[in-house]
Amino acid sequence: MVILREGLCPGLTSDIITTLKTNYVKTVVDLVSSDLEELARKCSLSYKTLVAVRRVLLAQYSAFPSNGADLYEELKLSTAILPTGNNKLDLLLDSGLYTGEVTEIAAIAGCGKTQVCQSIAVNVASSIKQRVCYIDTTGGVTGSRLLQLLQSKTDQEDEQISSLQRIDVCHVFDVYKLLDILQDLRHSLSQQVVRSGETLRLVIIDSVCAVIYPLLGGKQTEGMAAMMHLARELQTLARDYSLAILVSNHITKDSTSGIRPALGRSWSFVPSTRILLQRPEENAQSGYRTA
Amino acid sequence: MQRELGSFPIAPSTRARLVAAGFHTLHDVIDFSGSEVSREAGISEESAKEALNIFKRQGSNSQILKHTALELLEQEQAQGSIITFCSALDEILEGGVPLGKVTEICGPPGVGKTQLCMQLAVDVQIPECFGGNDGETVYMDTESSFRVERLVDIANACVLHCSLITQAHQEEDHRLAMQGFTVNKILSQMYYFSCQDYIELIAHIHTLSDFLAQHLKVKLVVVDSLAFPFRHDLEDLSLRTRLLNTLAQQLISISTHRKLAVILTNQMTTRIGPTESYLVPALGDSWAHAATSRLILNWEGKQRCATLCKSPSQKERTVQYQITHQGFRDVQTSQPQMDTAKPEINPRKRPREDDTK
Repeated sequence: MVILREGLCPGLTSDIITTLKTNYVKTVVDLVSSDLEELARKCSLSYKTLVAVRRVLLAQYSAFPSNGADLYEELKLSTAILPTGNNKLDLLLDSGLYTGEVTEIAAIAGCGKTQVCQSIAVNVASSIKQRVCYIDTTGGVTGSRLLQLLQSKTDQEDEQISSLQRIDVCHVFDVYKLLDILQDLRHSLSQQVVRSGETLRLVIIDSVCAVIYPLLGGKQTEGMAAMMHLARELQTLARDYSLAILVSNHITKDSTSGIRPALGRSWSFVPSTRILLQRPEENAQSGYRTA
Repeated sequence: MQRELGSFPIAPSTRARLVAAGFHTLHDVIDFSGSEVSREAGISEESAKEALNIFKRQGSNSQILKHTALELLEQEQAQGSIITFCSALDEILEGGVPLGKVTEICGPPGVGKTQLCMQLAVDVQIPECFGGNDGETVYMDTESSFRVERLVDIANACVLHCSLITQAHQEEDHRLAMQGFTVNKILSQMYYFSCQDYIELIAHIHTLSDFLAQHLKVKLVVVDSLAFPFRHDLEDLSLRTRLLNTLAQQLISISTHRKLAVILTNQMTTRIGPTESYLVPALGDSWAHAATSRLILNWEGKQRCATLCKSPSQKERTVQYQITHQGFRDVQTSQPQMDTAKPEINPRKRPREDDTK
């Protein structure tokens, strides 16, 4: 539902808009769905112009059909699999994080979510030399730990420095700021000149719960809306710019069936892969895929 | 894809009006002026301008911290931390309580949570040439467990200790720093807030950032304890989770922006498991995510132990400590081995050794 204004399409002059407005046609939807013959009579505008305008508007605002074979070709071109640096985890994930997908890590506190996020960030930045955007909402990321992880990979100092420069760290503490960042990210991605080698491939959000919990609960619907905005933004970002997105999540106790990731059912449709970290057995990581 | 107006922090009534008038995405509204929007949507001109400012992200608090990991590392190395005067604990925390992070201290009653808080409140004021931070402290007390006599004890011990170093080394900058470093100075650089219930606590934390803007030297914020007000007068659990998480995000934000340490204390509770029951920190599982690192103080027989159980950069370990007249200290018996293990390379550790000699 876009409001009608001058310059929206050729032929839609300000005179037409003002006459339309006096007859309660304000938005594109109003115009498209109204009976043009009647409208032409009411506003004393020419039927031909209205039809032309409508055709242009329809072409502008409707979805564009695409061919399955083309989609598949594009998918093959754009998808990359980012290895996590941990062989067992790679095996579990079918060789790594897929771009165009949202992957979630859920665990209880002190289990190593941030550790997994940091090591994946380091691995992507150092081994395959891609840029990483690390969005930190809990103050958990530390430069010294990233350096430690890097030192275990390479001894060369200049290589460590350039890897560290490939990781962008943002600190945000509420969900609206997070959405702002994602908007900036989209903006910079859409304007980015294609540079070979160093494109942004991985966005990590650690943790998504911390920003949403303050809004959720009680009778507030605001939190739910913000959560769904975030979810949609993440999914379209992942799809449009073929990014891999990694988010971390908390665990809640279920009255019936033990533990499950937090944020409820509506969030559970967002990530396409979920990894559950558990503490008791050393290195036991169970993962399962959801639609 | 355009960003929807619903994803901006504007008042629900304004948003409803805007959507009803056909403004759905950022793209629809961004080219209009305040008066045009207010006429179209039937809202007052002020609220239209306010909303537009939010959309265009012009305002005081719209800047976002963003840097590369390399810059982050450099900042961290410049930052330092607050020593605890217990070298074993300093070691597991990598030099003390980190600035710019939130640390939670949990423990059963009488184990020394408040003692550690008071010790840190004094230690943060140690002048920079002695390896301190030369900062000020904000102390929020909810349990009325803060004793100023005890603080004087600890401050006395700390001042004495720094003067011993000055005598031992005879350095000019130490002598200069010592002149300003007195018990009275320590006490005057501490801002004490007493909170009776959770509403007062929340109010204090809300106004904290304004307070900090006036007192730029504050390097440590202590909330002792966070658990108490939330555990006894809140019936609604989902409201509690919400409030606690909001508080946590505010504190993390303050600590990151102002580069100061935040210490929260928490109580312990009993969790009844299927076979046995054990002591866990209070306030539930979702709270466990809030603090960046978590230190659990505990009794082991007659010995007090500190366990670092959550930290983004250090591994989990347990050390022993004791509480003496001077404050929070190493266990004496283990001291000799500790000293041989670490020769005097690290200037931070030197104060400790002088003290025990």
